[in-house]
Amino acid sequence: MDAKSRILSRIRHALKERPKALLPEHPHPALSQDPLEFFLKRLAENGAEGHLVDKEGARKLLADLAQGLPGAAYGKGVPDALRLLPELPPEEAPLGVSRALFAVAETGTVALSSEDGRKAQLLPPVHLVLVEEEKVYPSLLEAFLDLKSLPSAIGLHSGPSKSADIGQVMVRGVHGPGRLVVAVLQGTW
Amino acid sequence: MRVALFITCLADQFYAEAGVATVRLLRALGVEVDFPKEQTCCGQPAFNAGHWKEARSLAQRTLGIFQDAEYVVLPSGSCASMVKNHYLELLPGDGEALGLSEKTYELSQFLVRVLGVTELGKGLKGKKIAYHHGCHALRELGVKEEPLLLLKNSGAEILPWEAAEECCGFGGLFSVKLPEVSLAMADRKISTLPKADALTSTDAGCLLHLTGRMGKQGRNMRVVPLATLLWEAYAG
Amino acid sequence: MQVKAKLYPKEAARLLREHPGVREAVTGATLHFEEGRKRAYQEIDAEAWRERAKRVKDHLLTHLDHYLELAEKRLQEKGVQVHWAEDPEEAHRILREIVARHGVKRVVKAKSMLTEELGVNPLLESLGVEVYETDLGEYLIQLLGEPPSHIVGPAIHLALPDIQRLFHQRFGTPLDASPEALAAVARKVLREAFLTADLGISGANFLVAETGTLALMENEGNIRLSTSLPRVHVAFVGIEKLLPRFADLALFLPLTARAATGQRLSTYVSLIQGPAKEGEEGPKEVHVVLVDHGRTSLLHDPEAWEVLRCLRCGACLNACPVYRQTGGHPYGYVYSGPIGAVLDPGLLGLEDTYPLPYASTLCGACYEACPVKIPIPKLLLTWRQRAVERGLVPTWEKGAMQAFSKVMQSPSLYRLFSKALRGLPLPQDLLPLLKAWTEGRGPLRPSPKPFHELWQELNKE
Repeated sequence: MDAKSRILSRIRHALKERPKALLPEHPHPALSQDPLEFFLKRLAENGAEGHLVDKEGARKLLADLAQGLPGAAYGKGVPDALRLLPELPPEEAPLGVSRALFAVAETGTVALSSEDGRKAQLLPPVHLVLVEEEKVYPSLLEAFLDLKSLPSAIGLHSGPSKSADIGQVMVRGVHGPGRLVVAVLQGTW
Repeated sequence: MRVALFITCLADQFYAEAGVATVRLLRALGVEVDFPKEQTCCGQPAFNAGHWKEARSLAQRTLGIFQDAEYVVLPSGSCASMVKNHYLELLPGDGEALGLSEKTYELSQFLVRVLGVTELGKGLKGKKIAYHHGCHALRELGVKEEPLLLLKNSGAEILPWEAAEECCGFGGLFSVKLPEVSLAMADRKISTLPKADALTSTDAGCLLHLTGRMGKQGRNMRVVPLATLLWEAYAG
Repeated sequence: MQVKAKLYPKEAARLLREHPGVREAVTGATLHFEEGRKRAYQEIDAEAWRERAKRVKDHLLTHLDHYLELAEKRLQEKGVQVHWAEDPEEAHRILREIVARHGVKRVVKAKSMLTEELGVNPLLESLGVEVYETDLGEYLIQLLGEPPSHIVGPAIHLALPDIQRLFHQRFGTPLDASPEALAAVARKVLREAFLTADLGISGANFLVAETGTLALMENEGNIRLSTSLPRVHVAFVGIEKLLPRFADLALFLPLTARAATGQRLSTYVSLIQGPAKEGEEGPKEVHVVLVDHGRTSLLHDPEAWEVLRCLRCGACLNACPVYRQTGGHPYGYVYSGPIGAVLDPGLLGLEDTYPLPYASTLCGACYEACPVKIPIPKLLLTWRQRAVERGLVPTWEKGAMQAFSKVMQSPSLYRLFSKALRGLPLPQDLLPLLKAWTEGRGPLRPSPKPFHELWQELNKE
């Protein structure tokens, strides 16, 4: 008998006399207000910056962020129209731009896929995330229940990287980006 | 209405005044009070330390002593909780234990919930009180509002105290098994204590422990059981 | 990891005596976390969330064999290599083989209490592999060679001056360097490690059976980096850390974050479903090691099995007034505080851990904090009972209990004791007890007359 069989056998033995517990249903998601307003509010509370922008606004936002920067790292899903800076590898780029799978209002979260490219999401000190407005879910539960397929990794990002491990003083950008900017894109892209 | 007083061993020995105050207060409110003389200890110290054989025999003894009482009242949150919540753990399915559990109350709980009394008098007018919430009263009995209501309605001001609901560190045998930690916990309470006219609580163990520590630190503040203050509220 | 739990009473006393700064640091940190948790609980229907989470975990545990087999199937479908380890030796064998096969020279590690249990770092070091703890708190204690003091914030026992001194010695930073400056130094060192490591090692907060998803929570980004940059990722997962369905994460991720740090969700959550696909950045190989190490034994226990619901959030540590005075080191094992006191006896045996269930006043604050409603005070009493039954309590205590019981069984003996307290010499058994009391609290002052002697007069009133 190998380790797996021995472990499973011990578990079955342990559970022989134990009454089985039922699995509860998922709760009903609460009817909430407009997820977009709520999303921007929660993002701000998390220390991130949120903007609701149309095509023109998105370009302007990127142009502002790009001021004085030599280049950026881009996720696969970032539209050409927004690739204003020359592309740099994520290890060198001062800015990373990603396209999110979806966002969640109640926690102020953007969901990033391994398909878009993990390094651009983690290595540059400033991270700009683009997400379409119809992909902003009110709650985590609704987002998860709607998920059709799973990439090899999803990163849920809800703010800039932080730690209070040094004498209980909050420091940003310890490993991940110290600045997170989210652009919610209105209309079709 | 008749009440049997369960004084509890610690109050009997160290805060006899609380027993006197309880009897006087209940009688003044029209309640007859008995004192079954055979009573000694509810068994909590043994129970908490894991010596359930000793605890069980003390519980059984106590059941016999209070069998015929209409109500049992204790000037102690932890002992009331021992009888009300834990006797059934010691004696699962025991009808007598269930019966005693249902008619047992801590004093302020009895006044407010059974007698419906929320005003005693104005005897504590202008007094600043620091109230220590004993853990068993607070988290096992759910006695939190009753003492505060009775004190406030008698004119006392309950001072804000950041550590009011934190454990004082007495914990029965804990106080002598892990004395250094126990004292550090007392120090946490005392260092945050507001400037009050009196420090009070439902539990003799907590009061003994805090009084002792404050004395060692030269800290002067009146430390008094809740029952005594409630009698003062009534009698002026 | 070596177990030193039997030394708790001495170690707690020594720490309070020799390192008063620890009490201050731990008190500040835990009060802050506890306030955050209370606020975060108040924002939601905490009772409903906790009850639901308890029921999901109870279902998982009472069907654990089914969900483990499902998880393995799903993991393998996603291209993950699944291993099973009953104890540290088996875990070491598995890791050694992976290290050899890939010629691993450098490892980046995410914080994982399970890897501390298994002694992963000492193993790697013995193989000549360079290990970098990448969680900032874990990095600090790695530099100091200390065990973690808290499940979530391993370095909360350190104050800023301690860290300034450490970095001054190690990296030559000025003694008054700011937290930002110190973090920048750590960031630089660890960034280099992330980019050059051959292997990333992590634990897991949850393993979803339905989809084979590993879920990991953090605030710094070091876990995302450790599980994305190296070409091999190995995750050690305790067999109790499963969840039945993907959507259960929608409850457990926010609940754990609220309980642990008062956040609505941790800054980063990694949801991993296997190695990177063709053309994608990410590890080419992902391994999951399912670990027993005492968990099946605990599952067997008719009372203590509920401890296996534990999410390792640390909320009970933050609520505990006993833990607050010393931090985790005196408990002598990875898991300290209230959960340590009920988990360690189950994982390691009571013989090696018996003082831990007594490191509590049974105040109940831990139960109020626990997001999965583990009845910690009740379980502390269970372990204490067993300690008494197995003769693991000090002889003086047994003697004192028997004397106490004898006195309380007999009203006449009790009245005699009452008189003795007020003058006559006291029985010898009780003397060490008395000293432990009076040393810090002064002499006991009984009322001039006990109440039972005042009753007669009262009746005459």
